[in-house]
Amino acid sequence: MTLPDWARSRWVIVPLAMAIAVAGWNGYVALNDGGLVEGRVVDGAGRPVSGATVILLERNFVMHNERQRTRADAAGRFRFTGNDNHSLQLEAESAPLGRSERRVVRLWFRAQNVTLAEPLQFAGRLP
Amino acid sequence: MGRRRHTLFRHAALVAVSAVMLVPFYWVIKTAVTNENIYAYPPRLLPENPHLFNFVDVWYLIPFPRYLANSLIVSALVVAGNVVCNAMAGYALTRNFPGRQGVLLLLLSCMLIPFQATIIPAYLITAKLGLLNSYVGLALPLLSTIVCIFVFKAAFEAVPHSLIDAARIDGLSEWRIILRILMPLSKAAIATNVILAFIWSWNAFLWPLIITREPTMQTLPLGLARFLSYMEDTTGALYAFAVMVLAPSIFVFLMAQKEFIRGLTSGATKG
Repeated sequence: MTLPDWARSRWVIVPLAMAIAVAGWNGYVALNDGGLVEGRVVDGAGRPVSGATVILLERNFVMHNERQRTRADAAGRFRFTGNDNHSLQLEAESAPLGRSERRVVRLWFRAQNVTLAEPLQFAGRLP
Repeated sequence: MGRRRHTLFRHAALVAVSAVMLVPFYWVIKTAVTNENIYAYPPRLLPENPHLFNFVDVWYLIPFPRYLANSLIVSALVVAGNVVCNAMAGYALTRNFPGRQGVLLLLLSCMLIPFQATIIPAYLITAKLGLLNSYVGLALPLLSTIVCIFVFKAAFEAVPHSLIDAARIDGLSEWRIILRILMPLSKAAIATNVILAFIWSWNAFLWPLIITREPTMQTLPLGLARFLSYMEDTTGALYAFAVMVLAPSIFVFLMAQKEFIRGLTSGATKG
């Protein structure tokens, strides 16, 4: 079976390929835009810091403003829901350890579900 | 051997000149995928830690999809208007009628008048028609362009008269001669019209600036100016925006470049 000439034209093939790519991307976005931001908080020795406050800051235009706070569980895990931004910063606070470094989290689309590959880390160590 | 070396040298020279011409494009893209300051000294030739997040910023920090949709709608109207109106005008100019030379002279002389000089009457006419702040109003001044009329005229004149006469004897009306005979034989002229109309409409700044009243009706060049007013430093996001504005017109050109070049040169060697 051979395709008709018009179907083999670049004016059909290229826009069709682009339409498929866009549809595929939008499908992927629809399946992964739950607004979940997850990760862990550890001390300088890599041990989980339970009860650490994790702050989520989101970008407006030129600044990052605080949007949400949550607490890490016993295993040092934290979870934010309802994020609807594409450019975030995360920071952890703990009374004995002070503040962690601020982590920039760039997302490919708004509300992308993301799990931090590297935990938020305090400089100091738990006693 | 000598001829081969000559060809090699010629191609090397062409590659070198092309590379020089492409340096500004490369620099824009390099800045868009990094956050390097373009004034940094010494400049880096290769991007360091390239990423595409500047494009994500542009998409979300301003209503980019809205600007894109506006530009696409206006450009589609302009392209359709140019192909239809210019084909009709071009065909008329290939026919003999009283005052034809005068019309040709008038059109040629009108090409000398810059758009800025006629923008006030154009605005008043658009306002009288009630088309301010509308897509049709945005497209109106570019719906037909004189250069493109002459491109169609040259293409239609290259079609043998015997073919048109045969079609007329077969009973085809003038409209159908344009549609069934001339247009299929003038693909290069159509491509030229599409490219030129698209690029002119896509890059139009002054006219959309004057006739749009709401930010939701603004097109990409206006969005770029607005973005520039927010992001005054030379950030990657600004260059990412420039790349996103440029990309569609470069894409259209690349798609139709073969026909475009043929369309521009058709009729050039006539006679």
